Amino acid sequence: MALTRREFLKWSGSAGAAAAALCLGFDLKPVQSYASELKILKAKESTTICPYCAVGCGLIAHQKKSGKLLNTEGDPDHPINEGSLCAKGAALFQMTVNKARIRTPLYRAPESDEWEEIEWEDALEMIAERVKKTRDATFTQKNDKGQVVNRTTGIAHVGSAALDNEECWVLQGIMRALGLVFIEHQARI
Amino acid sequence: MAGKYFFVDTTRCTACRGCQIACKNWNKQRASKTTQYGSYQNPSDLDGNTFRLVRFMEHPSKQNSMVWYFFTEACRHCLKPACQKKADQIKKGAIVVNDFGAVLFTKETKELEKAFKAIKQACPWSIPTWNKKDRQIVKCHMCHDRVAAGLPTSCSKACPTGALNFGEEAAIKKLANERLAAAKKKFGGKGEILDLDDVRVLYLIIDEQSKYRPVAI
Amino acid sequence: MTNHWIDIRNSDCILIMGSNAAENHPISMKWVTEAMDKGATLISVDPRFTRTSSKADIFTPLRSGTDIAFLGGMMNYILANKKYHEEYTANYTNASFILGAKYDFKDGLFAGYDSDKKKYDKSFWAFEKDENGVPKRDLTLKDPRCVFQLMKKHYARYTPKIVSSITGTPEKDLKKIWETYAKSGAADKTGTIMYAMGWTQHTVGVQNIRMMAMIQLMLGNMGRPGGGVNALRGESNVQGSTDHCLLFHIWPGYLKTPRASNVSLAAYNKKWTPTTNDPISANWWQHTPKYSVSFLKAMFGEAATKKNDFGYSWMPKLDDGKAYSWLDLFDEMYKGTIKGFFAWGQNPACSGANANKNRQAFANLDWMVNVNLFDNETASFWKGPGMNPDDIQTEVFFLPCATSVEKEGSITNSGRWSQWRYQCSKPLKGVKADGEIMVELFAKIREMYKDGGEFADPILNMRWDFVKDGKYDAHAVAKLINGYFEKDATVKGKSFKKGTLVPSFAYLLDDGSTSSANWLYCNSYTEKGNMAARREKKDPTGMGLYPEWSWCWPVNRRIIYNRASVDLKGKPWSANKNILEYKDGKWVGDVPDGGWPPMVNAAKTRRPFIMKPDGVASVFGPGRADGPFPEHYEPIECPVEKNILSATYTNPVAPVYGTEADVYKTCDPRFPFVATTYRVTEHWQTGVLTRWQPWLLETQPQLFVEMSQELGKLRGINNGDKCKVASARGEVEAVAMVTGRFKPFTVQGKTVHQVGLPWCYGWVHPEDGGDSANLLTPSTGDPNTRIPETKAFMVNVEKLGKRG
Repeated sequence: MALTRREFLKWSGSAGAAAAALCLGFDLKPVQSYASELKILKAKESTTICPYCAVGCGLIAHQKKSGKLLNTEGDPDHPINEGSLCAKGAALFQMTVNKARIRTPLYRAPESDEWEEIEWEDALEMIAERVKKTRDATFTQKNDKGQVVNRTTGIAHVGSAALDNEECWVLQGIMRALGLVFIEHQARI
Repeated sequence: MAGKYFFVDTTRCTACRGCQIACKNWNKQRASKTTQYGSYQNPSDLDGNTFRLVRFMEHPSKQNSMVWYFFTEACRHCLKPACQKKADQIKKGAIVVNDFGAVLFTKETKELEKAFKAIKQACPWSIPTWNKKDRQIVKCHMCHDRVAAGLPTSCSKACPTGALNFGEEAAIKKLANERLAAAKKKFGGKGEILDLDDVRVLYLIIDEQSKYRPVAI
Repeated sequence: MTNHWIDIRNSDCILIMGSNAAENHPISMKWVTEAMDKGATLISVDPRFTRTSSKADIFTPLRSGTDIAFLGGMMNYILANKKYHEEYTANYTNASFILGAKYDFKDGLFAGYDSDKKKYDKSFWAFEKDENGVPKRDLTLKDPRCVFQLMKKHYARYTPKIVSSITGTPEKDLKKIWETYAKSGAADKTGTIMYAMGWTQHTVGVQNIRMMAMIQLMLGNMGRPGGGVNALRGESNVQGSTDHCLLFHIWPGYLKTPRASNVSLAAYNKKWTPTTNDPISANWWQHTPKYSVSFLKAMFGEAATKKNDFGYSWMPKLDDGKAYSWLDLFDEMYKGTIKGFFAWGQNPACSGANANKNRQAFANLDWMVNVNLFDNETASFWKGPGMNPDDIQTEVFFLPCATSVEKEGSITNSGRWSQWRYQCSKPLKGVKADGEIMVELFAKIREMYKDGGEFADPILNMRWDFVKDGKYDAHAVAKLINGYFEKDATVKGKSFKKGTLVPSFAYLLDDGSTSSANWLYCNSYTEKGNMAARREKKDPTGMGLYPEWSWCWPVNRRIIYNRASVDLKGKPWSANKNILEYKDGKWVGDVPDGGWPPMVNAAKTRRPFIMKPDGVASVFGPGRADGPFPEHYEPIECPVEKNILSATYTNPVAPVYGTEADVYKTCDPRFPFVATTYRVTEHWQTGVLTRWQPWLLETQPQLFVEMSQELGKLRGINNGDKCKVASARGEVEAVAMVTGRFKPFTVQGKTVHQVGLPWCYGWVHPEDGGDSANLLTPSTGDPNTRIPETKAFMVNVEKLGKRG
């Protein structure tokens, strides 16, 4: 009988033996025993798709009770990669759990040589004001030939092939509703 | 003793380094500071943060002008581990072999700092490394925690092309023999399995061993 | 991809050219390996010997920018030696079409060229038509004015000797590869091409791909398992972001962006809806008005009415004949006409050609918004190399966003599979998901416009019901992308209530009864559920189509143009290549490209290439800006003083730019070496995500430049030495990787050296990592797509210091 991965996990989990082992294998006491407390066995699982190239490999993400990411690895049920991953895909965990991630909006004022941290509310309010100001100042209802164009060439957008489909659609919708024509992204380069 | 085996078919490896990073990911290891020194291979060798390393070696060749060999290297999990023999002389039980054949460096290797060099030298492939931060001897542990729970090792799971395989001895040896036959057919009779009777990590190569990894003389 | 990743296993010959699949799409090699296990041949053609080449049965090098010469030679071989699939070619392509008297080709130029405007008049490339307005055909392919014969004449010039002299590829290798690949023209064999930016990033990018598509058509490989033309797309959702058209020239679903001369919706639909007089051509784009109206209903909802042209006037219009592409955008920004800028999940300080120009352009902005996970060279441009913050007025906002596992939504892979991703962990405290940022920002803008402002209608009227309690809802957007019945309607004899999800685009209407934010995705989220989330692994054809795993556009068709996989009777060209068959009055297998009966049913059939007005594939492509047949031209920067195929040196219609930052130096002794750029497995694009990940940075820590041992000797450079690589536009420091994997080329009898370097580094992090290779690349590109020519340009390499 071919077990699916999920059935397999259930089966192997219930086979459970004694004693704990930490992942690095340094805490084996006694080492001949098995690990039933494998960290991922009780974690909540979700599936995801790799965010790098467009092969579209499947991954499983394990989540801690706190909602934090515990681990990611290839999804053996996925027909394209069947559990395998390249270097980048195998490192997916480290994109999310990463000390270098920026955790608050930043603002750089004119002529300033440093970033300042600002609140989300303030950042979005300030951006909205600037969008409106620039748009209103540069909006063109008619072009040189007198044709109706209802656009602004004073604001441009680039990105993003890393967004979800739904986000891409909303983003193009917003940019077009604002009247942008300079809308471009990774597909052009 | 039966137990688990790896089989590495070097003819299928594309050096995606999924295995190298999957190992880091499972073990949530630190990274070493590296520099570019004129090679795709980094870190330049196994180190305290790296249990598995894909080696890159290129050579001129008649066929297609070049060969570029990739060799995913880690502990061979010897049937009679020389490292264990060495360690036993100082502290018995610091290095052990579990019931499916994984050679395991326990926390007790912390007490073997002075013997580290000797243990490394005892290994025919110089695999053991010293982890400075944790102050102990480290290397591949065959993902014994995963394997015990019925899961494949993280490295073999990551391999897309069937270059790095893991499983029961009989199944792995069968696969190795099939692949050896296929390689001999494809590469004009060349092909051998290294150290078949001594280790739990079987490599299929089609050229001189020294063309895949530096060999100590 | 016309096919999909798993389908590669069905191939008998895999050509990897213009891509380095093992490096950049590593898991694709799983299916390449599986094909090879079954006896397939792998061919790798690349300027250098790569990770892909290491697994190839045949490897040969070619000089960057000479792919058309290489492939033109292959076409010559196929035609001269009758290796083509005659029945397929005659019936399913325009090879049989008769060209009008005005078509001509002389010395590298096609008829209709206006040298003042640097533009072609494409009317010179029209077909002869019969009294009904249908193109005249000669199915025997013998008429001297038919496409086949003119194509044969065109490529007869591409002899092995001439090709070898251009590409630097040994003649014996050329012949071996042409012969090997041409074998896939046999009915029981198929061959496939895996290409990527190595083909697109050239001034002849589109024609590189057309050249291969033509070969695939002549060999009868299109629409068939193990065949097709397969673009290996480089970002997880670059397929989806293209489908949803974050691009100036297209609206979602590849509808055209309106031009100023399209003064009304009626004028727009008339202009962009193709017509045909061929009674058996499906001409699928005839449905354009249904898709454009359904898109506008998705944009503006209730506010879009028949009376107001469904809000057509609210959508921005482009000037006729003007491009607003990436290169043009940065040209305008450099000139100071653009004041506000969103760089949303993109790092143009490193990713754009001639990146110095982009970096300087940022300083002309009033404000910039950068959305990303990590600090990067775009957001922090004001403190970058050569910048003085005191002089830079630009306000910059950095908005930190969630990672892919911290939010929910779908992405579309290269094989057109839209796959649902679940939220796998809570977002890091302090960051927001992109969808959330968009919705909150636009809500604020909209609030401000309620108090007045320029042309507020589109802002106030944009449909917003996908926002629930102020929150972005991915499922609600996904449903809108699919589309709803906006009122009770009866279509094709079926009645639908208002609010019902439209089952597929065949049910969309042009009267405002339906919405569909993207007609191509209509069928992706229906009353049956979220198709992208499906995980059933059934494979009824045994060919790896997995029709119930996720969802694939269009209408879950896994291999497009699949009705070309069968003969005129509806039988697969070969039993071992069966993905579709007409049996007992119906199609069995993949979702057919239209359900019409096979070609033998002359009354009811439709030709298989349903998206083309003539119903056949275009080996002759009269729509392209630079000619109907691909022709070899040298890159804008090249190492040779003449094009030995013709007096036309470079692509005569390629765009170049005129600011002081746009410098081009060809055959300049100061920049004697050909250069190309590429990526590495361990980093992604500019490295903005991966350079910050210690595990990945450890494996590829610093910029390197690969060069041959001969060039190393010439310049006194040893492996591991620090070097300077300079072009007419900029320079970078890199560590030399002196390798036998690069070899000098012999081009027009002379030795030509080439180097290559990855573009995944930047000055922000790591400190000693080096900067972007795009500081070197030129701002020119393909005249059709305007994709920059970053794959072939000229540089110098000098040693900077000792090893270590």
